[in-house]
Amino acid sequence: MEIKHTIQGLLIYLTIAAYLLALLASVLRRPRIGHALYVLGFVLAAISFGYRWYHVRHVPMQNLFEVFLCLGMIYPVSLFCRHVLRVGGQSADMLIGAVVLVPAGFIFNAEPQRLPPALQSYLFAPHVAVYMISYVFMAKAAFAAVLQLAGKTPAPQENFLPPEEATYRLIGIGFPLLTLGLVLGSVWGKLAWGDYWGWDPKELWSLASWLVYVGYLHFRYMFAKRHPRINSLWAITGLLVIVITLFWVNLSRLFAGLHSYGAG
Amino acid sequence: MNTDQAFKNKLRRAVPWGRAVMWAAMAAIVLLILLSIYGAFLGPERAKQLFNGIPLAVYWVVFILLLAVGIALFRRLLRVPALLLVHVGCILVLAGAMWGSQTGHELQSRFLGIDKIPTGQMQIYEGYSDNRVISQDNQVRELPFHVRLKDFRIEYYKPGKLRVQTRQGEDRTFPVEIGKRFSLGPEFGALEIVRVFENFKITIDGDNKTVIDDPDAGSNPALEVRIESPNSQAATRYVFERFPGHTHQDDGLLLSYERVISDYISELEVIRDGRIVARKDIEVNHPLHYGGYHFYQHSYDDQAGEYTILMVASDTGLGLVYGGYLALCVGVFWRFWPPHLFFIARCSVRAPRRDSVTSLEVGVPNFRNRCGADKFTEKGSKTE
Repeated sequence: MEIKHTIQGLLIYLTIAAYLLALLASVLRRPRIGHALYVLGFVLAAISFGYRWYHVRHVPMQNLFEVFLCLGMIYPVSLFCRHVLRVGGQSADMLIGAVVLVPAGFIFNAEPQRLPPALQSYLFAPHVAVYMISYVFMAKAAFAAVLQLAGKTPAPQENFLPPEEATYRLIGIGFPLLTLGLVLGSVWGKLAWGDYWGWDPKELWSLASWLVYVGYLHFRYMFAKRHPRINSLWAITGLLVIVITLFWVNLSRLFAGLHSYGAG
Repeated sequence: MNTDQAFKNKLRRAVPWGRAVMWAAMAAIVLLILLSIYGAFLGPERAKQLFNGIPLAVYWVVFILLLAVGIALFRRLLRVPALLLVHVGCILVLAGAMWGSQTGHELQSRFLGIDKIPTGQMQIYEGYSDNRVISQDNQVRELPFHVRLKDFRIEYYKPGKLRVQTRQGEDRTFPVEIGKRFSLGPEFGALEIVRVFENFKITIDGDNKTVIDDPDAGSNPALEVRIESPNSQAATRYVFERFPGHTHQDDGLLLSYERVISDYISELEVIRDGRIVARKDIEVNHPLHYGGYHFYQHSYDDQAGEYTILMVASDTGLGLVYGGYLALCVGVFWRFWPPHLFFIARCSVRAPRRDSVTSLEVGVPNFRNRCGADKFTEKGSKTE
């Protein structure tokens, strides 16, 4: 764990502080202040991401440091969920925003790296970006599933969906993106490595995470909401597999493979 | 009658064997999840063997049959185009993968007379052409055309870097810019990069030793660095990319010349019946496609840069796989996004409270409901 004494590091720490203060304000029932701080955090996260982009001169999604910088810009997804999907959990989003920036600020190496030949593809940014957005939706879905297991329901005046339905709706938005990410990765693999499926550990974990959500959708089709706890467990399992896909596979030598250059 | 019983009765009437097929599908999905996780621990080579072995080949066939039976049994899959696309897409992907596999190629050769090389490698020297492919099972096979390598080259990001490490543990890098002077601090003085070599050589003529950048074949990248000590004594050092990290006794500095590869490029020509029928400069992410094969930049001669190694892959089954991907993506977006993005927001405001629902149509899909996917879920929580 090391503190980054750079402009990049400063921007990350300020963003974390803004998100945590926004969360505190929300908990203390100061929604306007909380929202203002949340927006400030997003602006700082966007500046941090833009600064990195300028610094490395390519879309900063090459390694875990850059991917987590990207994940820190969670506010638009939060806004979309609140106003379009009628799904709450803004306080959780603030916490997610802060949590994902902690490894970027304190753990991952921020040394700029040149893009290796395999990453110089028009599919690089869409493949990673689509996956990141889907992961945010799936993280929110898992959070809603936890609320369902805890028996929480939104306040009537908020007009948000109950947690079980919120989980389904979030997975309904995130699953197509997860599918697209998998397909784009496969097409890119064919262009770069000569095969659309290489049985690489990361590919297999990605397939496993996709299949968990396929299982969720089939189970929910079979039983609808009659086993809400099992539905929620599917959603939480999906996020766990995603976390393994994202983190462990990239960091652990146990899973060395074609995607190892993404290690942070 | 409780909701479970209502669901069972309804599903049994609507889709004979439907429940069994759904459970079989669930079992197949869970099994594939477990196999994927197990395969991730094995590493790519062993995982490939596992998933291409006979037991798993049986599994893939059963999986395809299960998808086909599901489409035949569940009218819902036929009535809802998006769902149909998703399931047909999965069948196409699996069928394409099997058709393009090693076994698929062997079966096509035996029964259809289509003799293609599934995958292999070619080594071609600059200025030469070849049609021999070392296939995956180490057999030498021949393509019906020749591939000629006009030129192979490696491109690097500019500028390269000169890395300087001291015995005290300091580590600094400097861009390779000729004529620019960099300070190393009061203890070590300064350095200046004087010359950059692509192919460093020394010629000896009597007592004279001359350093040259040899334009002939070969590769020995190096830097000529002038180090000026704090007491103004200058010394010349040569830093080689291939032999990094020699420490000089006089100044105690450890120097390395580092470059980052930006691309590998092979200029190829395809020759058929003595005529050039295709040409392309292939690089990573930009293969050549000709005659039912893709040619990829795979490896190269890292000593002298005189030959390239191409990976050759048959395109059999690729159209099916890509068609399946397209169907899967279109289907899955069509299925989930329009209901959630365009209808749900309005419907959710009007969504009935849980305790106000009285319908018994629990778990039964309602195609007319516009509030999104699997609308039985809107009613599913009520028990009588």
